[in-house]
Amino acid sequence: MLLQAIMTGILMGLLFALIALGLTIIFGVMEFVNFAHGEFLLVGMLTAFYANTLLGLDPLASIPLSALSAAILGVLTYHFLVRFVIRGPMIAQLFSTFGLMLFLQNLFLYFTGSNYKMVKKGLVVGKSIRLGEGLVLDLSVLAAGLVAIVAFGLVHYLFNHTTIGMAMRATALDGLGATLMGIRTERINYLAWGLGSAVVGVAGAVLANFYYIYPTVGMVFVMIAFATVALGGFGSIGGAFAAGILIGLIEVVGGLYLGSQFKFTIVYATYLLVVLIRPKGLFGW
Amino acid sequence: MVRPRFLRYLIRDLRSLSAPAKGVLVVVFLFLCLMPYLGLSSFFRAVMIQFLFFSFLALGWNTIGGYGGQIDIGQAQFVAIGAYATTMMLVWWDVPPWFSAPVGMLLASVWCFLIGYPLFLLKGHYFAIATIAAALVLKDLFSNWELIHASRGVHLPFKQAPSLLYLQFHTNIPMYYAMLILFLAGVIFLNWFRNDRLGYQLRAVKENDEAAKSLGIDIRQAKLKAYAMAASFAALGGSFHAIYTMYIDPEAVMSTELSMQIALMAMLGGAATLWGPIIGAALLVPLDRFLGSAMGGKESLQGLDLMLYSAIIMVVAVVEPRGIVGILQRVGRSFRGGRP
Repeated sequence: MLLQAIMTGILMGLLFALIALGLTIIFGVMEFVNFAHGEFLLVGMLTAFYANTLLGLDPLASIPLSALSAAILGVLTYHFLVRFVIRGPMIAQLFSTFGLMLFLQNLFLYFTGSNYKMVKKGLVVGKSIRLGEGLVLDLSVLAAGLVAIVAFGLVHYLFNHTTIGMAMRATALDGLGATLMGIRTERINYLAWGLGSAVVGVAGAVLANFYYIYPTVGMVFVMIAFATVALGGFGSIGGAFAAGILIGLIEVVGGLYLGSQFKFTIVYATYLLVVLIRPKGLFGW
Repeated sequence: MVRPRFLRYLIRDLRSLSAPAKGVLVVVFLFLCLMPYLGLSSFFRAVMIQFLFFSFLALGWNTIGGYGGQIDIGQAQFVAIGAYATTMMLVWWDVPPWFSAPVGMLLASVWCFLIGYPLFLLKGHYFAIATIAAALVLKDLFSNWELIHASRGVHLPFKQAPSLLYLQFHTNIPMYYAMLILFLAGVIFLNWFRNDRLGYQLRAVKENDEAAKSLGIDIRQAKLKAYAMAASFAALGGSFHAIYTMYIDPEAVMSTELSMQIALMAMLGGAATLWGPIIGAALLVPLDRFLGSAMGGKESLQGLDLMLYSAIIMVVAVVEPRGIVGILQRVGRSFRGGRP
């Protein structure tokens, strides 16, 4: 039982980390928290769902499509909303993205209805393998964890070994300094929104393999993503990775011992305890 | 004649208003006082009660969130403490709300000190997200706490005859006036708050906490005091909500959505202004209720009402990040020919 919980916890944690990664990329570059992040995840899920039912595409094969649709949404959000709001106080970030959250939820309620949707056929949907006595590995969850690792590897490579990634890091460290060095920070902001949203779109595609899709599904995951990002330290990619796994483990193992109705309670309580000891998160500075 | 300070501030601030602003204020005040006798529908009264209720909560939020700049998105937990205190004392011991509401406020203040003391180690986004998490922890505990009926919720016992003691009546007119009195008291309180020592201390902390500290302001204590005020407002609102709706459950009184709505109304109207939270509630509550009653019933239109609602929020954010009060100030300035 414990072994099973640890395995599932780590894999779910990788997925949480992937969702949080999108949030932390955007925050890192421009200190902006997107409260509608969960709805970006929903866009990824819905893209995978409709690619599956209408085109017969496997959710894993539709990862690029999900990433693309979420990235488009991200760039549009930056262009039409965030660009204007960023000049105002922090309060404006909050209420504008609350507004966006409500808008997207109801947009999808209007167009796709409130009923629960589920991807029914796919390479890993509903399949599992027995590894031993009482130890079952859910293939769709495994796929989510593996995709998350690959995505983290790519983002890590991008940020550390490419010019564009270094330009993003420079903008994150000092926007004005980056401008003086000839970096077009406005373009970097667009890029951060596109990349951050694409990442959460990828998470949506793999999540669609094993999770119900409904207009407010994002609310469940966005709170975990917030806790993950704050626990790891806002803007820290390695922090998001470690905190995601930690939160996944706490959720599943804690839920095993205290009852599943308390699984998120333990996550939030642990998160609160940790940030009180390290106010800027485990890896924040 | 020696007047208490809150009265002096009130009279001074009313005198300093411009003539058109005074006119608007008189008309609005008369409308609020006479509204039940203007032949408007019971539905309209219910919307007005909601408006006053949310204005009251948003005014309370404004102490810590607006003037203090500490964005709290966990106000619903204090609403719930007030609502549950009133409800359970009525169910168990038949205590009227007049006595249980202050107990609720006290409990909310105690809870806010317990969580506020550590939470104020955090700043900015870290604080905002931690308040959501704290409220969610309490909500999960309430939802699984059998003593208070867990997630099934609690019905308040009905009294046979209308009763002023238990605040139960046949129509919603007395409840309207009860809420109106709370609302006016809230406005007067906030006007005192923003003019008095604590209000200035908090604004100093918000602008630059290091400088505020060097002036001898105890930052943590100032924040805690304001947080306790916000919590008391929320608890009192929660007590009212319980006796007004006669049924509460954790989903209704302590959801993150409620916390967000409270903060949203104050922020949209204009945080750290006296009229901002009221204007925010005056826009959003009727918009939500009337759109909901006009479109919400039809299956084919579900979601459209809230799409329009949230689109307006985003438009305000884009036009003026400081909120509606900021827009009104700009309009007023252009009327006076561009002079500040």
